[in-house]
Amino acid sequence: MLYRVMDASELPRLIDAFMEKYEVVAPVKSGRSFAFEPVSSFDEIVLDYPTTLTSLKKYILPPRETLFEFNVEDADVTDYTLRIRPRVLFGAHACDINALNNLDLVFEDARYPDPYYEAHRAATMVVGINCSPAGSCFCHLLDADEVRSGYDLFLQDLGGRYLVSIGSVEAANILEAACDLREATDEDRREFRRLTRERQEAFSNDIPDIQEIPMLMDAFHKDAFWAELGERCLSCTACSAVCPTCYCFDIADVLDPDGKTGRRERILDACTSPQFALVTGGHNFRETARDRVRHRMYHKLNGFNSKHGRYLCVGCGRCVRACKADISPIEVLRFFERKGAEDA
Amino acid sequence: MSGTDETPKVVFVGLASCFGCQINITNVEKHLMDVLGQVDMRYWQLTSSDPMPDSFDVAVIEGAVTTEEAKRTVRALREGADAVITIGACAATSGIPGMSTEDHAADLAAVYGEQVPDAAGAGAIAPCAVKDVIEVDFEVPCCPIDPYDFVEVLQHALYGSNIYRRSSTLCGECKNNERGCFYGRETLCLGLVTRSGCGARCPNLGRPCNGCAGLSPDANVPQARRVAERAGVGAEALGRALRMFNQRPCADEEA
Repeated sequence: MLYRVMDASELPRLIDAFMEKYEVVAPVKSGRSFAFEPVSSFDEIVLDYPTTLTSLKKYILPPRETLFEFNVEDADVTDYTLRIRPRVLFGAHACDINALNNLDLVFEDARYPDPYYEAHRAATMVVGINCSPAGSCFCHLLDADEVRSGYDLFLQDLGGRYLVSIGSVEAANILEAACDLREATDEDRREFRRLTRERQEAFSNDIPDIQEIPMLMDAFHKDAFWAELGERCLSCTACSAVCPTCYCFDIADVLDPDGKTGRRERILDACTSPQFALVTGGHNFRETARDRVRHRMYHKLNGFNSKHGRYLCVGCGRCVRACKADISPIEVLRFFERKGAEDA
Repeated sequence: MSGTDETPKVVFVGLASCFGCQINITNVEKHLMDVLGQVDMRYWQLTSSDPMPDSFDVAVIEGAVTTEEAKRTVRALREGADAVITIGACAATSGIPGMSTEDHAADLAAVYGEQVPDAAGAGAIAPCAVKDVIEVDFEVPCCPIDPYDFVEVLQHALYGSNIYRRSSTLCGECKNNERGCFYGRETLCLGLVTRSGCGARCPNLGRPCNGCAGLSPDANVPQARRVAERAGVGAEALGRALRMFNQRPCADEEA
């Protein structure tokens, strides 16, 4: 990895340089919270935002996306070109970049790559930035607090200057043309290590650090705990909407008002939606909220691991805030902690 | 479809309601002729005085059933139609007329005194939803309906569709609008228990959900009451708010 240092005062010039060729999406104030939105100037960007309401997923996996268009009378597919705007996703935290990397494992699968996803991803640059943990953050417990790939640039604020980790040639060229860069000194590296330690120590101690989570998920698969969560679940799917790694979708053919033409759309769905596992013939494989909540947690903390060797959940904490029924992976970790205490 | 002509014959019937949903259909404006071009519109009091035809394929009903006469009307529509579509909250849940369901006799007496005039509807009954009287094939929810939802449902009835209506509640759709949550501001919002599908457009405009899409069959009202209680809104306020569009399910809520 190539590292350079730039003065903080240079950052607006980097944004301006991106804006010449890209739409720049960055964290902005949104009501009482923050959201990733397209920006038109550096001043709109909030660099030290704690978290956003929803994730960057919306720019790679839009809530609704046209896959192709069709003509009903000919019963045929018509030419359709996916229009994708080249974007820079600026100010992504490590957890969110890890989330995009997890989505890559699914949609850039070697055997069944998803052309729509790939087109979005290929046209998107990611610029990460360091963060300090909010109270609902638990990325460090799921190995998602550091990111080693999946970004074009990653900025670490060293106070008045940034240590820039450079991940792509395209971004390096823009960076070098726009900003004055210098080599990192020993002093820069010492400061980087100090800030990294400071960050690691800033996570909430209220969230238990549980070892062997996938195994515990299997061990307590039938525990009454899941029924307790199911009883609380509002079946609102807010968890999946805000989740940076929930990617399940539905497909629908949407007719135009004249009934002669239409579009096939991919619509993001959620396994916590009551009809998600309903199949033709009327059988619902996960009929109860207990089954649905449990299934979602299993995919996040167990199932994805067995296939890809890491947690699907990146501990961003968005569902912790979004769920009005206090259902989140943190509650699962606390449950395991209680079980551990009972056994001891 | 029945009849010799291939074009499906459609009738529109208005029961106890403001007729706003029927009016709203015309708000598809530039697409209106395209939509009407797919059907043979045989009866619509808002546009023509022609009488109800003997045969039709699709019956579209707005409004709650509030009289014995209305009951007979919807039964006859069910008998004649291959597909029955209800539009709007009044037809789907008894809606605004349903607010008087709970204490109907007292409400009637308060307004009319001892003798309810026939002009108020021959044989007044406690307001109920169309589906309380007949089987309904398709529902277009909300107060008023989104005209594009109506077009989608009409096309579903005419041609079939693979669009599935979910019973998940509103908060997931609301999150996509990135407007934050009313419960953090001690403000009651019925999105917790209201069926999704509208895109959470009221919350997106800064107004809490008032539940016009109807209580989801999978609504978790006890949990919603706990949320309201904890947020300082109060469970009673939630129950009261549900009475505007969800009189029927709300009556069962304590059971």
